[in-house]
Amino acid sequence: MRSVLLAIVAVGLFSQPASAYLHFRANDDGQSIVLKWQRMPLRWFARDRGVPGVAASDFQAAMSRAFATWQAVPTASISFQFAGFTGAEPFTDDGVSVLGFQDEPGMDRVLGATAFLIDVVTGEIIESDIFFNTAFLWSTAAAGTASRFDLESVAVHEIGHFLGLGHSALGETEVHADGDRRVLASGAVMFPISLGPGVTRDRELQPDDIAGVSDLYPGGGFRGETGVARGRVTRSGAGVLGAHVAAFNPETGQVIAAFTLNQSGEFEIVGLTPGPHVIRVEPLDDADLDSFFDARDPIDIAFRVTLHDRLFVAPSGGVGERFTVSVQPK
Amino acid sequence: MNVRIAIAVCAALTATPGSLHAQTAADRPSGGIEAAVGGGLLGGAGLGAADANLRGNDSTRQTFRLFATSSDFARAPLWHARVGFALTRRLLLEGALTKSSPDVRVSVTSDAEGASPVTIAEKVDQYFIDGSLLIMLDELRMGARLVPFVAAGGGYVRQLHEGQTVVEQGEVYHAGGGFKYWLLTRRTGRVRTAGVRGDARAYLMRGGVSFDDHPRSHVAISGSVFVGF
Repeated sequence: MRSVLLAIVAVGLFSQPASAYLHFRANDDGQSIVLKWQRMPLRWFARDRGVPGVAASDFQAAMSRAFATWQAVPTASISFQFAGFTGAEPFTDDGVSVLGFQDEPGMDRVLGATAFLIDVVTGEIIESDIFFNTAFLWSTAAAGTASRFDLESVAVHEIGHFLGLGHSALGETEVHADGDRRVLASGAVMFPISLGPGVTRDRELQPDDIAGVSDLYPGGGFRGETGVARGRVTRSGAGVLGAHVAAFNPETGQVIAAFTLNQSGEFEIVGLTPGPHVIRVEPLDDADLDSFFDARDPIDIAFRVTLHDRLFVAPSGGVGERFTVSVQPK
Repeated sequence: MNVRIAIAVCAALTATPGSLHAQTAADRPSGGIEAAVGGGLLGGAGLGAADANLRGNDSTRQTFRLFATSSDFARAPLWHARVGFALTRRLLLEGALTKSSPDVRVSVTSDAEGASPVTIAEKVDQYFIDGSLLIMLDELRMGARLVPFVAAGGGYVRQLHEGQTVVEQGEVYHAGGGFKYWLLTRRTGRVRTAGVRGDARAYLMRGGVSFDDHPRSHVAISGSVFVGF
């Protein structure tokens, strides 16, 4: 099966990770600012266009369900409002956020994409548009349709971008003989590669997604009731950039991850349920680097998967004891 | 501090040698207060197994295991202080504070990408605050001074993770038995009884640090010195 990217068009942006998962950032005169909406509710329009098997009204209903999924996160403070149907196309800088089908036959590996209009001084997202590529077959059936991509699942992923989230690396892939990658497993809706046609599992947010959106738009006691892990990943004493650090809580079964963000190898994982966690560090898959980092970043992928030799205890609110994970070269 | 108290009690006992041969366990008074301090060993207990799973992408919808963990409490020394009230000569109502600091150990194995297995740990400060009823089994008395007993009760467990930033709470129940050996009994004076005591208990704990929903059991053995007033 051909793998299909859930791509984001991030012209003028770079997906420098801010904490767990990726938060989009923009650079203004050397200052890095997190991109987020600053006014609620977020109004969105649905393009008045259907495709075979999905009428415009089906499209709008699927989008509403996907928005409702994010709005239901109890530890995030976000709200959406459907503003109506429109004839406008997505990816037009018109100050309104439009979601709709669009013909993009040249993007034969892209199911959907999200674009922003932002204030580069404040980081405020002013407009965000999402298109779904008509080059693929789509379904809004409750249980999915075997040969078609589930529109709601892809919409949940793209709305994560719409909110300012980047990609999560919580997942495993395998390379086929033809060079395509197939997802073996995914631990986040924001994993960059689709689970495939007929699969509806990405309608449901995972702990990593919930931590990500709650960090951007905290609400419901998020800051006071969850803990933060901060630390470094080093190799021969030097910081490792781009290491993927996952925290596993054996009590809840939750896995939440982050990246090391700078040459010092520093990372931060937020949204951890208080209690002990196993910390695991792995290099990014070499095929995935540009889904997470700027191609110019010197990402270190030549080290072994390593388990930290101590349990990390996440506090109930605040930051736990800092720690360093030393990794060995491959 | 417990050591200092124990030494003080032993000193009090040796300061009253005249009583050691004059009284027996059968002469012990009722209605008094009894205090005890001591120490022992709290046995280990399993905390359950948990896998770090991702959502598998196959038709069977099975999960994809990133790695597996199994966890336990290591055995650890314990210290306790008890205060009891003798309802009758056979029944004692007792409250106790027990402290131990076991390691929580997590063995991580079967990593999907070949990370070396490790066992990692953190220390937990654990407090039991419980009450129990002791029944002295006079009919099973051995000699003049040694009387076995059975005991059962329940209470509260409070655990502080390393760094003392997270508190876990739960319930603890126990049943067990032991013996008391009286070194002193008398009907006058501030100290009316004194002796040593051995306990063996089975604890059942619910809540607290736990990686599954099952209650866990520990065994503990301890010894103490007691003084009755």
